[in-house]
Amino acid sequence: MGEVRSRLLGNLLGSLAVLAVAAAVAIGLPALDRALPAARPVTHGQPYGIGAGVTVVPPAGALLDVTKTRPGPRRGTALFLLGSVRYAVVVGPFTGSLPEAAARLRHKITATRGCQVTGTERPVTTGAGVGGRAGGYAAPGRAGRYSVFLVRGLAVEVTVSGTQADLRGALGRVEASTASLAFGRRP
Amino acid sequence: MTGSPGSPPAGRVPRSTRSAPVRPTPPPGPLDGSLLLPAFWLVAALLLVGAVRVATVLHESFSRYPTATVAAVAMFAAYAVPFWAFIDGLDYLEREPPVLLATAFAWGALVATTLAITGGAALHNLIAKAASPRLASAWGSALAGPTIEELVKTLGIVAIVLVARQQVNSVLDGVVYGALVGLGFQVVEDIVYAVNAVALAGGGDRVDPVVTTFLLRGFLAGLWSHTLFGALAGAGIGYLVVRTDRSMRSRLGAAALALAGAWLCHFVWNSPLFADGLGDGGLGVAAALVAKGAPPLLVIMMLVRAARGREAEYYTAQLAALADHRVASPAELRVLASSRLRAEACRYAHGRAGGRAARAVRRLQRAQAGLAVELSRAGAGADLAATPAVRRRHGEVLAQRDRLLALGHPEALAPRERRRTIRRWAGTAGGLTVLLVVWAAIRALGPA
Repeated sequence: MGEVRSRLLGNLLGSLAVLAVAAAVAIGLPALDRALPAARPVTHGQPYGIGAGVTVVPPAGALLDVTKTRPGPRRGTALFLLGSVRYAVVVGPFTGSLPEAAARLRHKITATRGCQVTGTERPVTTGAGVGGRAGGYAAPGRAGRYSVFLVRGLAVEVTVSGTQADLRGALGRVEASTASLAFGRRP
Repeated sequence: MTGSPGSPPAGRVPRSTRSAPVRPTPPPGPLDGSLLLPAFWLVAALLLVGAVRVATVLHESFSRYPTATVAAVAMFAAYAVPFWAFIDGLDYLEREPPVLLATAFAWGALVATTLAITGGAALHNLIAKAASPRLASAWGSALAGPTIEELVKTLGIVAIVLVARQQVNSVLDGVVYGALVGLGFQVVEDIVYAVNAVALAGGGDRVDPVVTTFLLRGFLAGLWSHTLFGALAGAGIGYLVVRTDRSMRSRLGAAALALAGAWLCHFVWNSPLFADGLGDGGLGVAAALVAKGAPPLLVIMMLVRAARGREAEYYTAQLAALADHRVASPAELRVLASSRLRAEACRYAHGRAGGRAARAVRRLQRAQAGLAVELSRAGAGADLAATPAVRRRHGEVLAQRDRLLALGHPEALAPRERRRTIRRWAGTAGGLTVLLVVWAAIRALGPA
């Protein structure tokens, strides 16, 4: 009887150890992650490397979400925060045409639950003269703008979204930032 | 008999006793005993939670990309079948209970993936916060992936030990359970990657990103992936459980070393080193894949081979002790210890006496394996009348022997060493050709 009890006790302790490790991974690490702030200031006026040699000058007063920013040699992502406004720039290889790149971005937007593209698309140009396409979209309680550029086999997708009021206030700074996109030499 | 795995020279202690002992395993019993164990209920609860989570992920994918999701599930489910058969075949002589094999696979597929998705993302973020987004981008997968994934997969092997400790009676058993946990993880992870590739491609509900992911992750990366890492960690847990003659400290050290080895293999594979390949073009990238993946594959295969050899030695020694050629001749003991020779013996029988003889050889080998396991359960010095199970298995062996005698093929031999070598080289060349074809297909499809 004593042997059975000690075996059960050992099994219980082992089970608790397994549960503790699983809880540490599934609950502890995310809690620690949430406890630490993700937003970091970026140097105003200095180009920030998104990835694949593409840079952008962040909007004045923007913070960088380091958990959603992943620069790389062939692709990259950066997420800037301006209050409730989220300004994302995604760079990656693309072999199609500019209309195809725009269609892909529209599809990504509408694949998010509740998001719909609104209005008509229009041409845009960066400060360096690179042409692109831009449009708008809406999500429950939020409005958004998108633009896409294509240069040397690289697609640059820009999305910015926030509440109507915040987006209106930040749009000028974001558009100035998007115009600063520069396409350096790919490594 | 000299050199046969079942019969070490007189006076010499068998390798299985010296380096990796095998303990007799009890017959799989009813579930009732396990119902009393806290570990049983913990595993059941975690499997349930994991199943709900994975089902939710798949349901979301299905609602957006139904064709691609079904294709991904079907492809990777089919992909798992030969891997499962191979892993199960490693432990030919003393097969593990199917319910435990399924539990190991389910842990990897449902629990480990669920834990890894949450924990891995959090650790990735913490690396970005503590260091920089650049470091997280370059090395995040190499650091967070192995750290979380190897840990949660190893938990599954520990859980199997807690639920059915007596079924883990050799290092090889740890390898089998670890590999199946890894296989389950690999299959679900690949399905998620395939559906993500569809979303990333932005072309709607298309199957081509799924096919590319299947070729890339299934073939080029599949040989040296989670199944392999899980097998290594499993070997360590097997050692921890079986080597009760060693101090707990050294057993824990060995288990930690195996886990660290799995972590290192995974780290090297995920690391950005040689990301641009060794040399120009596709072949350079393929060479880099082989350079990063092949060394762990070879090391772990050698470990598995040694563990399998120890187990084969233990079980064939049970038959060798009978010294009864009608049960198993010395040549048959040698054949029984090797999967290649067992298959070769069936082919040889087919060539000499037809398909019925090949089937009889296969059944004889199964009956011999079953008898060896029952003899080990009966205890040292057991004879052929020791227990009802031994007598039943002995009867099965004799029935197949009589069948072979009637077919004019009395002994299950595998004498064609040279043809086997040629077949092995042909198999290697064929495998390399398949990899090159897969590589060309991936290049043609052009992954995003």
